[in-house]
Amino acid sequence: MRRAHPRLILIVAALALSLAILFPAYSWCLSSSDTALDLSGKAVDPLKSAAGKVVVLIFVRTDCPISNRYAPTIQRIISAYEGKVAFWLVYPDRAETTDMIRKHDAEYGYKISALRDTEHALVRKSQAKITPEVAVFDASKRLVYHGRIDNWYVDFGRTRSAATTHELDDAIQAALGGRLPPVRVTDTIGCYISDLE
Amino acid sequence: MIRSSRTLPFCLVALSLVTAASSGSGGIARLGAPHRSDSSIGKTERPVTFDRDIAPIIFHDCANCHHAGEASPFTLLTYDDVKSHARQIAAVVRKRQMPPWLPEDGELKFADELRLTDRQISLFQEWIDDGEKEGNAADLPARPNFVEGWRLGKPEVVMTAEKPYLLPAGGDDNYWNFIFRAPVDRVRWLKAMEIRAGDKKLIHHANVQVDRTQSARHLEKEPGAGFGGMELEIESESFDPDSHFLFWKPGSVPYVEPDGMALRLDKDTDLVLNTHMQPSGKAEKVQPTIGLYFTDVPASVFPMLLQLENDRALDIRAGAKDFVVTDDFTLPVDVDLLAIYPHAHYLGKDLLGYATLPDGSTKTLIHIPQWDLNWQAVFRYTAPVRLPKGTSVAMKYTYDNSEDNIANPNHPPQRVMAGNRARDEMAHLWLQVIPLKAAESDADPRKTLLEAFARHRIVKNPADFEAHYNLAAMLQARGQLDEAIAEYSRAVELHPNDATANNSLGGALLASGNSGEAITHFHLALTIRPDYFDAHYNLGNALVATNDFPGAIGQFRACVRLRPDDADAEANLGGALAETGQYAEAKTHLERALDINPNLTLARENLEQLKQLMPR
Repeated sequence: MRRAHPRLILIVAALALSLAILFPAYSWCLSSSDTALDLSGKAVDPLKSAAGKVVVLIFVRTDCPISNRYAPTIQRIISAYEGKVAFWLVYPDRAETTDMIRKHDAEYGYKISALRDTEHALVRKSQAKITPEVAVFDASKRLVYHGRIDNWYVDFGRTRSAATTHELDDAIQAALGGRLPPVRVTDTIGCYISDLE
Repeated sequence: MIRSSRTLPFCLVALSLVTAASSGSGGIARLGAPHRSDSSIGKTERPVTFDRDIAPIIFHDCANCHHAGEASPFTLLTYDDVKSHARQIAAVVRKRQMPPWLPEDGELKFADELRLTDRQISLFQEWIDDGEKEGNAADLPARPNFVEGWRLGKPEVVMTAEKPYLLPAGGDDNYWNFIFRAPVDRVRWLKAMEIRAGDKKLIHHANVQVDRTQSARHLEKEPGAGFGGMELEIESESFDPDSHFLFWKPGSVPYVEPDGMALRLDKDTDLVLNTHMQPSGKAEKVQPTIGLYFTDVPASVFPMLLQLENDRALDIRAGAKDFVVTDDFTLPVDVDLLAIYPHAHYLGKDLLGYATLPDGSTKTLIHIPQWDLNWQAVFRYTAPVRLPKGTSVAMKYTYDNSEDNIANPNHPPQRVMAGNRARDEMAHLWLQVIPLKAAESDADPRKTLLEAFARHRIVKNPADFEAHYNLAAMLQARGQLDEAIAEYSRAVELHPNDATANNSLGGALLASGNSGEAITHFHLALTIRPDYFDAHYNLGNALVATNDFPGAIGQFRACVRLRPDDADAEANLGGALAETGQYAEAKTHLERALDINPNLTLARENLEQLKQLMPR
């Protein structure tokens, strides 16, 4: 019995080491405050709940006009990868109640699960600054892309007639293929999450 | 008796419901400029606080749109509201994207300018740097008091679009037109109009155009359905060019016409609401409402709209970065310039309107260094701008058809020409002016101005049908029949199948005594448009002139069928019947004419004569 203890420590240490080599960008140790809440108030860690799947977190706000105008684009991408990718809507505004979020999701036709990230745990994990920013985690839950959905918005109040680059789509395709996306980080036009601190 | 009151295509006409606090009677309680001087001068006490430094700017320049029920996507009234968007606000004001205001600051000032000072802009960042403090409640100015519902009180008449428009959740911007049947049974004078766009978040701006001949109705697939399209061409009458801007943009307070001015609304007039909508992310039903406010005082001051334009010069090659279009017109009379409305589509970059005065000095009328279609508006001067006779008013617009223009609707860029679709271009500058008489004895300055303007257009484009037509109508009104006939003939050569031009040419020929040729053109007009009341009426008169009374009776009967309540048609039918001895029926129609209009002297005299002739 006395010998078993150090061996156990050794195993853990080796595991930690190998994870560190494989996933340098991923801090794998989640504490309880690192979780968000689903609309029933239950703590949910979206990165643990879809083993082996690519996970996409989409940061939105009920009163952010830019994230709202993206709703049809977001839904198009969701349906294109249905079954292959786990999508979550993440609401970082503490002031937005579950009722407000339910109403908003119904109005904008969202059918995927929504999370309230009241402690900004997912914001930190995704390095998200803006709504609508997206974070793509590969099957090993490594953050491989965060930033804009596409380049439709060029500035506040200024859009192209249509996007000409599609960073979220590219990042998902890369993650599904086990590759790193060509672009890892982009800036997003939208509402500042830091205004909600 | 000749009716050649014809209607001309004047494009895009409107009266601004933009702001104008100065003339606002009642309605919204707009603040003066609380604390503005504090924050616009040099240093502010640190830390910057919401109550003392930020709230006055928010209340004065932002809350008018950013409150519940208005056009903006979120409310900015309280400390919490502003704090939860603080960095976003700092960013958009720094880039001068908010508050939205296109014209550069210049010598001439516009009513309700929404332009922050550099000092005000930097206050937002300093507030964030200082930790977004709320401050001392004693410093907080009174919150603006917004009126809910109709801003000018209950309108006399409220019209609702018959059918809603279904705006999709996503996709391109949408342009939709709703036709409202003006519910007036006689001439009424419109003092103000409030457009309630339904969910105001969706409508970026809207124009109302007065359609006196119901010319837009044929564009609807079914009555009341409305129709798509970015630009409208509405026909309007030659001597009554719609002279008002009827424009709505988010946050605007209904504009009340100043003393002496009002917009005439006749029976059977349509009001066409042209809207620019942006999908919001969810599907929406849009069913706008318009409230009308009338006055019993008929208009005594008649502003006119002058349209500088050069659409024919718009042929922009793909990739062109600085494509310039100009137009200029020398005023034949003194005018007071009241308002200005620049208009281009997505390739417009730098829009300039300026005046060169007779002494050679120049005056910038408006300069928009970074055009953005989304924030187009009618801009009213704080005071009328006097431009003396001999002043040249000019526009110079620059277009960017390269990939650098992010608003470019074509990827890759393509050759673009003038047109009504969003991906076409336009080069228009509308000026609302009051033409002035230099001396009491002068001719009507409106007519002088219109004539000069029509001639200007013909110089620019000898094949300009409207210009020939307008010029002809003015010459005819002035009694220069031969010149009028020449201009009408040119218009008919350009558009041989235009019923109105044929009818008007016929009218001028008839007035000059050439009833034979007149009859030919009235018949042509009726071949093109068989239910054309004016042409039937004029043909009836021409046949009377050739003593063909049975023929005339047929034409006047058609008139009465088309417009059962037209007193002139009834009177003329009565007269023609009397000429052929059909006294009993003649009497019925003359009496009917007097029922409709007891003041119709000719009908009364004819009836008296008829009674003498009829066996007792």
